[in-house]
Amino acid sequence: MGSLTSGVLRRLVLAAAALMVAAAGAAADTTVKWLHIEVNPAQVKIWEEVARAYEAAHPGVKVEMQFLENEAYKAKLPTILQSKDRPHIIYSWAGGVLKAQIEAGVLEDITDQVKGYSDTITPAALAAFTQNGRVYGLPIALSQVGFLYNKVLLAKANVDPAQIKAWDDLLAAVTALKAAGLTPIVVGGADKWPLHFYWTHLAVRIGGRAAFDAALRGENGGFEGETFQKSGELFKQLVDLQPFQNGFLGFKNPQAVGYFGDGKAAMTLAISTVYHLQRALAADKVGLGEDKIGWFDFPVVPGGKGEPTDTLGGITGWLITKGAPKEATDFLEFFISKDVQTKLATGNFLIPVVKGAEVGLNNAFMKQIADNLAKSNYHQNFYDQSLGPSVGRVVNDVTAEIAGGSMTPQQAATAIQAAWKQGN
Amino acid sequence: MNDVETSRPQLDPAVLYKALFLAVVATFVLVPLLATVLGGFKSLGELRVNPFGLPHRWEWSNYADILFSRRYWQLLRNSLIISTLTVTLTLIVASMAAFTFAHVTFFGSSMLLSYLTLGLLFPATTAVLPLFIKVRDLGLLDSYFGVVLPQVAFSLAMSILLLRRFFKDLPHELLEAALVDGCTYINFFRYVTLPLSRPILATVGTITFVNSWNSYLLPLVMLNTDDLYPWPLGIMVYQGEYSSEWSLILAFITLTILPTIILFIFAQKHIVAGLTAGAVKG
Amino acid sequence: MRGYSGAPLLATAESSPWLLARRSISDGRFAVLVLFLPPALLLFTLFVVLPIGEAAWYSGFNWNGFGRPTAWIGLDNYRFVLETRAFWLALRNNGLIIAVSLLIQLPLALTLALILAERFRGVVALRMLFFLPYILAEIATGLIFSFVYDGDYGLVASIWHWFGAEAPHLLANTQTAMVAVLLVIVWKYFGFHMMLYIAALQGMDRSLIEAARIDGATRPQLLRYVVIPTLYPTIRLSVFFSIVGSLQLFDLVMPLTRGGPADSSNTLVTFLYNNGISRMRVGYGSAIGVILFVICVTFAFTYKRWFMRDE
Repeated sequence: MGSLTSGVLRRLVLAAAALMVAAAGAAADTTVKWLHIEVNPAQVKIWEEVARAYEAAHPGVKVEMQFLENEAYKAKLPTILQSKDRPHIIYSWAGGVLKAQIEAGVLEDITDQVKGYSDTITPAALAAFTQNGRVYGLPIALSQVGFLYNKVLLAKANVDPAQIKAWDDLLAAVTALKAAGLTPIVVGGADKWPLHFYWTHLAVRIGGRAAFDAALRGENGGFEGETFQKSGELFKQLVDLQPFQNGFLGFKNPQAVGYFGDGKAAMTLAISTVYHLQRALAADKVGLGEDKIGWFDFPVVPGGKGEPTDTLGGITGWLITKGAPKEATDFLEFFISKDVQTKLATGNFLIPVVKGAEVGLNNAFMKQIADNLAKSNYHQNFYDQSLGPSVGRVVNDVTAEIAGGSMTPQQAATAIQAAWKQGN
Repeated sequence: MNDVETSRPQLDPAVLYKALFLAVVATFVLVPLLATVLGGFKSLGELRVNPFGLPHRWEWSNYADILFSRRYWQLLRNSLIISTLTVTLTLIVASMAAFTFAHVTFFGSSMLLSYLTLGLLFPATTAVLPLFIKVRDLGLLDSYFGVVLPQVAFSLAMSILLLRRFFKDLPHELLEAALVDGCTYINFFRYVTLPLSRPILATVGTITFVNSWNSYLLPLVMLNTDDLYPWPLGIMVYQGEYSSEWSLILAFITLTILPTIILFIFAQKHIVAGLTAGAVKG
Repeated sequence: MRGYSGAPLLATAESSPWLLARRSISDGRFAVLVLFLPPALLLFTLFVVLPIGEAAWYSGFNWNGFGRPTAWIGLDNYRFVLETRAFWLALRNNGLIIAVSLLIQLPLALTLALILAERFRGVVALRMLFFLPYILAEIATGLIFSFVYDGDYGLVASIWHWFGAEAPHLLANTQTAMVAVLLVIVWKYFGFHMMLYIAALQGMDRSLIEAARIDGATRPQLLRYVVIPTLYPTIRLSVFFSIVGSLQLFDLVMPLTRGGPADSSNTLVTFLYNNGISRMRVGYGSAIGVILFVICVTFAFTYKRWFMRDE
């Protein structure tokens, strides 16, 4: 593009802008812009308190929170990062998407700024946000994907959750629930990523870490290989039983979580944070109490090479974008500190990453998840994040298509492999 | 055509069928709109059981909360700024160019005119990605002008054609007489053409305003800070936040389309003339 | 060279380019040319013409939008697009939209226009009512109808509830999603075409009808042989706008289905947005843009040459 024209125009525009700014009067404060996707108002409230506390302790600094809904956030993030007015702190699920962002040069290297502080964080969590020894953000929470179930509804169908150990047990449970006239599983199909959990977790169970690493290297046919074909086939087995709620392809995730909280479905395969989220999103804002809700890990696949302790889940955190003021990193350290993390853990909002904050977990459920995560040797990050922005979305697309019946498992695996070869 | 029929005193079945047909279409148009307006007055639970009728209990809080929120007025303000800037710039730039095409014959004028007409053939959406890159390179991302300038550029083709036609249709004697008196073209433009062109300027202005006010894709791509969002973006963010709380969302929708409806009621003639004349003359 | 129609003031001077040039400067014609034209041309070239050229250029790269494009892959992006199932679905959907517009919307608009071109009490109100959907923003319309179609709270659902059954989620079903979208399109645009026809009908020469009446023509004959033929230019225009508008559909579909489920209600532009912009695959997205551009321009040229020769 003619840099001459853009240069001249740019100068004209900047001159006009400068006049406008001068007229408006520039602010002397530093503003830290923080973009988040949290829909749980209780948690947002605590975050706001932390922000205000930081502002009180650091006069001259303002912390400005912005919200975007999950899917809209993922869709807009690429364009947001190109803007010079981009937020300073952004949400991240790490993985390949983070890698692409680092390579694009839109993130700030904060290794030096967090020296010393970073020792307070569990190494595995910090590693997710480090590349080549440089740190680009800080983790905030760990989570695991598994089945949350409604004790009352399962009891109605005489299904014992403790017996659901293998994949076929799950299928049997679904059949029993349907026979009892209940909705076996609720899922947010419109957002697609809730569906990809099934496929991905099956792959984790069938092939374990070895299969995933091999696929990344392009061995064994890459993502067209046996493991992933089988994942698709087993997922299709489930889909053929029609286990989901009516109109599941139109349900966004918050809706699905609310549906579960309303007690309308027996199970949902979700991130552990849904335990708390369903209370906020239920129609009566109360949801399922502690005594009504339970958890079982994703069933194993007989003959699968994955370990039963393998987990699928997220290491989520926050990134600092390039050009952000130092105060942004400073605030982040303040936010991800033992005190705040313990507070959030006590509220059962998250599994903390700061060493020592786990004492805040006072709930059997959360403790169990923390335990699972600690025991796991292979914690697979969500595929749609770990495989990078473009391939990740293809994974979501194809699993949704298997669920909708418009693609065969074979076609799905081929599509993912093709996207992987096309690169990001 | 009906002149003969309407003079007959007794009821004509054709009239009855027509009335029925009109009633069906009117219902088709009205029901979604009324349900939206009334839905904002209902609680979520009532909405589920009574979607069509009047609310049993009028919940004023949905509408009130939005009307008293800073966010709502900020969205409208942004829309107003963007649309006004677009209209002003379009009218200035297009009328100047149209005047040139109408009154100054020069080598290549018809070629240039065809060049501009190209702009009518394809929508902004086809080139939105390179447009995004260009706006970013110009440093205009996240600014009003990042949206205004492309909008102006894309409305130029239609505007110039409409204005040029109108300018040409003005009596030639005016220009001749002015030139004899030693008036320059520019002065003629300022003191004669523009004042006489109020109708067409209003028409072009209205088309441009309505298109800009309702525009979604361009702001979606160019704007990333919610301080700057015009109302179409704002309403989608709102819906993302309150996903299933339909009564809130419906109230918000009603309040954001209200300015358009009010404008429509007051400026009916201009809007209809504008939007259809644009079609007929283009 | 004639600056304006009408007798030139000095006939002999017209033949001398030198004098002509001098006069052009003194009466300000030159100033107009130099001052009035460039802004429009500059804006237009910068934001309309160049981007299309750049789209063609970027479409040859595999690029995520950061920095400058470096990975040249030639026509591969076009191959990828043609290999993507979602693209063909989008193309099919755009075709469906055009078909519905021509076969359902336009006849509906014409019928209404014939009824409402007359004068009777309340006709203006009815015309305004039917035109109202057209001026509402597409995005708002999409949101309103995502409510209407909602499986739990929607108006459609309530009809099922009234019969005690569980309502279908129309927008979540690959078979019905596109149909639902088509209905919204009819709702939104029929009023515009109706007003076009009304304007044409009102501008029609009444003497033709009177003459035919005197010759003993019946109402249906009048319609077929006098009214509709007079409307041909307007109908052609209406069809043109229908098709061009259908190719650009985006704002309406996003709130309803975002192009889903499973790409069943994608249009070319939602496909472009979901794949090009959301995933920042600039090369791939630009290829889609170029394809869309070619379709639009080819259609416009062909249509203008075949059907609108007298325009």
